[in-house]
Amino acid sequence: MKIKALVAALTASAVLTLGLAQAKMKTQSPAELNDLEIAHVAYVADSIDIRYAHLALALSENPAVHEFAETMIRDHTAVNDQALALLKKLGAQPRDNFLSQSLQQNAKTLIDEMSDLRGTAFDKRYAENELAYHIAVNDLVDNSFLPNIENAEVHALFTAGSKIFHAHEKHAAMMVKQLK
Amino acid sequence: MTAGFTRRAFLSKTVVAIAVTVLSSRFLTYTEDARAAGDTHVIDIKAFKFVPDTLKVRVGDTITWTNHDIVPHTATADDKSWDTGTLKRNERASLTVTAGMAPRYYCRFHPQMRAQIEIVGGD
Ligand SMILES: [Cu+2]
Repeated sequence: MKIKALVAALTASAVLTLGLAQAKMKTQSPAELNDLEIAHVAYVADSIDIRYAHLALALSENPAVHEFAETMIRDHTAVNDQALALLKKLGAQPRDNFLSQSLQQNAKTLIDEMSDLRGTAFDKRYAENELAYHIAVNDLVDNSFLPNIENAEVHALFTAGSKIFHAHEKHAAMMVKQLK
Repeated sequence: MTAGFTRRAFLSKTVVAIAVTVLSSRFLTYTEDARAAGDTHVIDIKAFKFVPDTLKVRVGDTITWTNHDIVPHTATADDKSWDTGTLKRNERASLTVTAGMAPRYYCRFHPQMRAQIEIVGGD
């Protein structure tokens, strides 16, 4: 009796856990986002890197860091302009989603943290974050977005975007090395 | 080493960079008139690469860089003695090869983008 009840309870909880896991996966896996949600994530990701760059321009006194930050602003602005132009052409609006929100949340925490740093402490933290950030975004774009984007033009834009982000990753790696 | 390389130090900004979007037809006409003997070479900037990344040229030739990427790039001599200026998407700029022109160049915005020209022939 006791054992039977235990087994039943375990099964119920396993089903519940699995069910939850499935539900969670369905709404919270980057691979499940549709094109308009992916476009939103990309726009947010670009905007976040632009915000980091403005912080660097305000706080860093290192010319190499300034040059990198200016490139981030220039490039991510160019990508976002292309993305907005494409969405306009397609008559579509980007759609907010869990991933955009969690990226924003993480960025807020990081900006708060970096805002308290000065001098080389800031430069190193900024450079390391730029490297980590571009690695993470590249992983997301290459492994979750590109295989799933349905619209050919959106796909082409992300393919170009991926090349840009990979170049930034290399550039960030150079900056990290330089600051060591 | 050609004679040109030894004169490198005297060479500075004899190079002309023109955004073709502004002056295209006039500039091209000028180029043909003044440099009838020079060849024109095309370098594409595509996916963060200069293509070709090594180019053989002669003094008097014209090199035209065209940016096909979404993001702006430059072609800038390592020693900064010549520079196309910012090339936005689909913009191009032309330089005339001069004796002793600095051969190695990069993109000021993306320093990992590197390429070179090789000046061949004499006089
Ligand atoms: Cu570049």
